[in-house]
Amino acid sequence: MKELVDQIAARLREQKIEVPEEEITSRLKKLIEDFRVPEGEARRSVLNYFLKEHGVMPLARASSEKVKVSEIAGPGRWVEIEVKVLDLWEPATEAISQTGLIGDGSGSIKFVKWAKSGLPDLEVGKSYLLKRVVTDEFQGRFSVKLNRTSQIEPLEQEVEAKPGSRGVEQLKVAEIDEPGRWVDLRVKVVQLWETNSDAISQSGLIGDETGSIKFVKWAKADLPNIEEGKSYILGNLVTDEFQGRFSVKLNRTSRIEPIEEDVQVGSQTAEFKGALVDIQKGSGLIKRCPTCKRSLAKGVCSEHGKVDGTYDLRIKGVIDDGQRVQDVLINRETTERLVGITLDEAKKMAMEALDHEVVCTLMDGKLVGRYFSVTGPRVDRYILVETINESEAVTIAEVEELMGIVEVD
Amino acid sequence: MAGFSREVARRVFAEELKSCNYSFRESEDQSQYAPQYLLTPTGAKCNRVFIVGTLTEKDDIGGDTEYWRGRIVDPTGSILIYAGQYQPEAAQILANMEVPAFVAIVGKPNLYQTEDGNIIISIRAESIQRVNEATRNQWIVDTARRTHERLRALKDAEAVPISGGFSTADKVSAPSTVQDYQRALEHYHTDIEKYRQMVTRALASLKAELMQAGDAEAAAVSAQPDARIEPPAEVKEKAKSEARKPKMKKSGTLAEMAEQDDIRKVDEVRIFGPEDEEDGHDADR
Repeated sequence: MKELVDQIAARLREQKIEVPEEEITSRLKKLIEDFRVPEGEARRSVLNYFLKEHGVMPLARASSEKVKVSEIAGPGRWVEIEVKVLDLWEPATEAISQTGLIGDGSGSIKFVKWAKSGLPDLEVGKSYLLKRVVTDEFQGRFSVKLNRTSQIEPLEQEVEAKPGSRGVEQLKVAEIDEPGRWVDLRVKVVQLWETNSDAISQSGLIGDETGSIKFVKWAKADLPNIEEGKSYILGNLVTDEFQGRFSVKLNRTSRIEPIEEDVQVGSQTAEFKGALVDIQKGSGLIKRCPTCKRSLAKGVCSEHGKVDGTYDLRIKGVIDDGQRVQDVLINRETTERLVGITLDEAKKMAMEALDHEVVCTLMDGKLVGRYFSVTGPRVDRYILVETINESEAVTIAEVEELMGIVEVD
Repeated sequence: MAGFSREVARRVFAEELKSCNYSFRESEDQSQYAPQYLLTPTGAKCNRVFIVGTLTEKDDIGGDTEYWRGRIVDPTGSILIYAGQYQPEAAQILANMEVPAFVAIVGKPNLYQTEDGNIIISIRAESIQRVNEATRNQWIVDTARRTHERLRALKDAEAVPISGGFSTADKVSAPSTVQDYQRALEHYHTDIEKYRQMVTRALASLKAELMQAGDAEAAAVSAQPDARIEPPAEVKEKAKSEARKPKMKKSGTLAEMAEQDDIRKVDEVRIFGPEDEEDGHDADR
């Protein structure tokens, strides 16, 4: 008991508060002996009582300041925030009991609630006062962590939350140039892809006049399906990035609004020069599903099952400039011109050899190892080749120019 | 396949490739499935290379199964390529190819250390294709340009003192190429001037060829286009000396398979991963 009293007195003296020892002792005794309060709790209670008595806010840790979400600008700060839960995500590890997005009038921020914190769960759309949460930073983006010392207090009054730290912007597809932005898009669905995960309800390609971009609609978003060829206003999407390519994600807070207007899909023309280093599987003479035009794998369409496919000719190639690799897709017309073989000739060739592979081998022989320059719209990781030309022969002038550069250094 | 991205095929001249003696796996766990890289003296981190040159020899050095070896010559020297049962298409093409021919090779560099400490660099071919002289000329310009870019970066890296602290995981991606250059300098003490001269020589020989070709064209189009390719003097010398050498036996160790000029004695061979690397840094300072 004496020890506890000394500790409390010491803490009070730090705040320049002098309290007679008897007063501390009597309060402590009352809690511990009469009310069976654990020593730790009792000590805190008594300390807070005297601090309050003398007009000092009971600050448990270093200092937990009340801030707005947008004021969080550095890691390792203990803060208190009043927020609304905007979205909950699937935690990637068992160490995390909940993670998602919370926000207030000033912006939104990711939160992580550790399993070890033993805190109650948050609900989407509800507002809370989060006390003693600690800020964190990863790759320039901030988050808050709820740990054992944090507290959650549900709020009666709803916190008005703005979904994005920068606010939602009405953007064109080509203007998307960084991840983590909240945007509205006016787009047409160019293509729907099969999804390979239960977490994804739809994915594919959407586009507007400026270009097209991959989208992912989470199963948890609980949104209606969108249809290929139809136009929509998609509200409150989050941009994402993977290996330099951007995508947009539709989550629980996103909106889908069909529109009458037929959005025209344009393309960003890309150019790439380098050596064609590989012609990949799925090139050459292939069969496509007559309904959805997907290429068949052993006569089976992933969407329509076993079908009578129609023949097509194409090249899935890799062009490499010594610093980057670029996947390219070459359609039938261009392939015919480039390889100097028509679809019919390719069919005949395959029939005679009893093997489709001969077409690929022919393509390998004519194209692999040569330098090309291609142009065409960039779609996902591919350039859809519109023009492809073998690079111009090296000239003496070019060699001399390069020699000049090398010698100067 | 999320996270998978194809390795770039680096452009490196034969002379530089043959000077390599440092390969490592890039992975925290040193797993055998982690990609293997060969670091060249000018700091090209190669998991894959693209080479265009003249195929001057080819031999089936396999026993029961075919195992083809070829020698590719570029303006700076030569390098051996291999294709066996695990590269059936490449092996097939090599088997049916006439020598000499211009060829384009995409392949994986291999560092082999013999018991007595010699190091042999070869290329396991993923693909071999016959190309024309125009492609070979483009490759020389391409490779000269890329090598020159690396030499520039080496100079920059030389100017900056090697950072002692190791970067954290999230910092690796951006400055990793800078690290490659610093690593190359530390390991090879690269003589930048030597490689600059190599690039100049390669370009000068190409220029001479182009001028000669221009003259020939003016006179009359040569009936035998291959005949006008003059290999650099150094290569001619070697061809002569090799002609005098007894034929290699069909079987034998890898060391025997490689010609003498592919074997260099190195005082100390350091093949290590990032972990050992850290110690290496400390020791150097």
